[in-house]
Amino acid sequence: MVTKEREGALTGYRVLDLTDSRGAYCTKLLADMGADVIKIEPPQGDQGRNVPPFFHNEPHPEKSFYFLYRNANKRGITLNLESDEGKDILKKLAKSADVLVENFGPGYMENLGLGYEMLKGINPKLIMAGITEFGLDGPYRNYKGSNIVDFALSGVMITSGYNSKVPTLLPGTPAYDATSVAADIEILAALYCRDAIGKGQRIDVSVHETARHGLYPWSVTIYSYSLTPGGPLPMPEGRLGAQIYPVYPCKDGFVRVIAITPRNWQALVRVLGSPDVLLLPDWENFIYRVGNADDLYALVIEFTTKFTQIELWEAGFREGVPIAPIYDIPTFVNSADATARQFFIEVDHPVTGKGQYPGSPYKWTESPPSVRRAAPCLGQHNEEIYCGELNITKDDLIALRYAGVL
Amino acid sequence: MSRSALEGVMVISLGTGAVVPDAGKILGELGANVIKIESSEHQDFVRTLSVKKNDVAGFNETNRNKRSFGVDLRTEKGKDLVRRLIKMSDVVAENFRGGVVKSLGFDYESVRKLKPDIVYISSQGFGRGGPHADYPAYGPMLASASGMLSLWKQPEDPFPAGSNSPLPDFMASKFAVIAILAALDYKRRTGKGQFIDMAQTEVAAALMGERYLEYTMNKQVPQPLGNRCSYAAPHGCYPCQGIDNWVAISVFTNEEWRSFGKAIGDPAWTKDHKFAYMPGRLKNADELDKRIAEWTATRVAKEVMDMLQGAGVAAGVVQRAPDTMSDPQIAFDKALIELDHSVVGKRLYPNIPFHMSETPPAPSRTAPLLGQHTEEICRELLKMSEGEIEKLKTEKVLESAE
Repeated sequence: MVTKEREGALTGYRVLDLTDSRGAYCTKLLADMGADVIKIEPPQGDQGRNVPPFFHNEPHPEKSFYFLYRNANKRGITLNLESDEGKDILKKLAKSADVLVENFGPGYMENLGLGYEMLKGINPKLIMAGITEFGLDGPYRNYKGSNIVDFALSGVMITSGYNSKVPTLLPGTPAYDATSVAADIEILAALYCRDAIGKGQRIDVSVHETARHGLYPWSVTIYSYSLTPGGPLPMPEGRLGAQIYPVYPCKDGFVRVIAITPRNWQALVRVLGSPDVLLLPDWENFIYRVGNADDLYALVIEFTTKFTQIELWEAGFREGVPIAPIYDIPTFVNSADATARQFFIEVDHPVTGKGQYPGSPYKWTESPPSVRRAAPCLGQHNEEIYCGELNITKDDLIALRYAGVL
Repeated sequence: MSRSALEGVMVISLGTGAVVPDAGKILGELGANVIKIESSEHQDFVRTLSVKKNDVAGFNETNRNKRSFGVDLRTEKGKDLVRRLIKMSDVVAENFRGGVVKSLGFDYESVRKLKPDIVYISSQGFGRGGPHADYPAYGPMLASASGMLSLWKQPEDPFPAGSNSPLPDFMASKFAVIAILAALDYKRRTGKGQFIDMAQTEVAAALMGERYLEYTMNKQVPQPLGNRCSYAAPHGCYPCQGIDNWVAISVFTNEEWRSFGKAIGDPAWTKDHKFAYMPGRLKNADELDKRIAEWTATRVAKEVMDMLQGAGVAAGVVQRAPDTMSDPQIAFDKALIELDHSVVGKRLYPNIPFHMSETPPAPSRTAPLLGQHTEEICRELLKMSEGEIEKLKTEKVLESAE
């Protein structure tokens, strides 16, 4: 294990992570920045260990890429919160924790006797964040969420994909991740002011409420701006990605073009060799181009297909129109930018071995985030934490394991 | 008496487009004093997306909770005023095109001489160090170059179409806020500021890291899944009554499958043994999707959602704005708010979604007109006299809202 890394910005804080796959990203980002995140799993393991894709496509609790990526940098212990001994142990852990994050759903922690009011009594400085699908209360309180359902409700899905075809899911777990980053923002703000106000606090985050804030906060506002009193209703929102940011074939793949302003358009025409058919003044108007996107498309591909992705990308930069290649994942991994920035970091895991993991999306000069350790195997740090910190004897550890507490 | 979480924190926003403006909005929501530096000559390009610079929906959403200081940064006197503001600040955030802050004299190396413990974040498309460090940073470009877009399609689509939303921009803005807050806390504890160099392509990749491991560890080229899920069926988006109306449905367990059948009246096909267990449903997903689409096609999306949710099956309307506006949970949460903007009037915005028991955010404030707070900032922070302010306005160094 490499330990020469400098400290992260959150080194010194301890986070108790009771989340499953839906909230794992929230605590991962805190761990990347140096927080000591202790992932607490039920004795049979987090359901997130079953989420594909898998290392060598072998379904195995230590080989889920989803789990490995989103739990890197954390330590892991097992604990049955529904047992009396388990509740006592959680309370002991809460004493020295700065943050606790859970996503069990409304009322679950309170029913266990581990609600915020109880834990606050043990540790007034604790910041406790609860992530729910549809909020703590309200008409959808008992509704079920899922990756695709939460994305559908976020307002982005109706705008994703081809206009004439089915709305398309964004890869990954976008609504959950949008919620995770909102939870992080609140947790960090609460840590920042904790000394000033002299106490921790309770944070509630709902996926349904937060996903649109995270992914596409403009939808309702754009609609609201297009309403005129007594006037006609605006056109229903459609999938305009292909019209606004068209994708064109070129010699060796596809490029995407973002020509919004007249200057962008003029630059694009120059990139394509100033062909006469593109010099008609009507084309300078963005709205006209979107309205006649199919006709324009047929004209433009004649010229884009004469160039390579890189030729168009570089010419776009020179002339002043944003153009980018559509890269697949291997091409990005091997790109000069990702390589120069050492974005991918080698991580060594006891079961899956060494692998290149995506790192943190920024470089910091004083307290750099990093991937400092692999995701924990199930119960990997039980002895380290229970015996080393809570002074549970090894004999008791064995007894508690057999009793189903750990 | 409650205070806000970021009381006393001052932020200078040298931002344009979505990322830094949205980050400033969020810091403002949490109580920071956020000042946007802009001028008619050097406008945030989102202001130019409409004929009226103060009447652009996207701008006015993303620039709430901050003040506008109208100053021409090409003038030495204007630069001086901004330098004085930076000396009072905790954070500088910039996402101008690569190299622009340096030419203006507001890059990190210059700013840290004015304020050694500044937290400075630069959000760029590809970040420093590689060949595309100075390339512009429009979200749709970065979705393309990062590999994200290559998976954002149905498997049979010839190429991806993306979305109206300029993702990953709105997630990059949250990553910027996370970095700023963690760095502010580090500064609070150690006294040290720092420079943070963010690459928006890397934000896109970080959001789907497991797909990159498929390549780096399995040596496979990850393939798009469309709306399918490799461990759940049905899992998709189904057409409903009306034009371009859809509902998303997902079934993860056999119990949910039986509930689904019951909810839709147990038609014979739902009893077919090949659909009874997950492997059979996944193997026959095409037929399953066709059957479900036939059932949903004659029904109203919201009714399908409520009917299935009532039976314990995850389902949701593929919402467009009017669906969000009539969503009873959104209403219960007060997740939308009407704000009265001095030029635009009353419009709806997403409300602040932060629920913090001890530092509840103050109500949202409307986006500033260009230069709306120039004079206020001159008086309050720069302690300038009326005469000085007027002189600099006449010299076109300062600019106020008309």
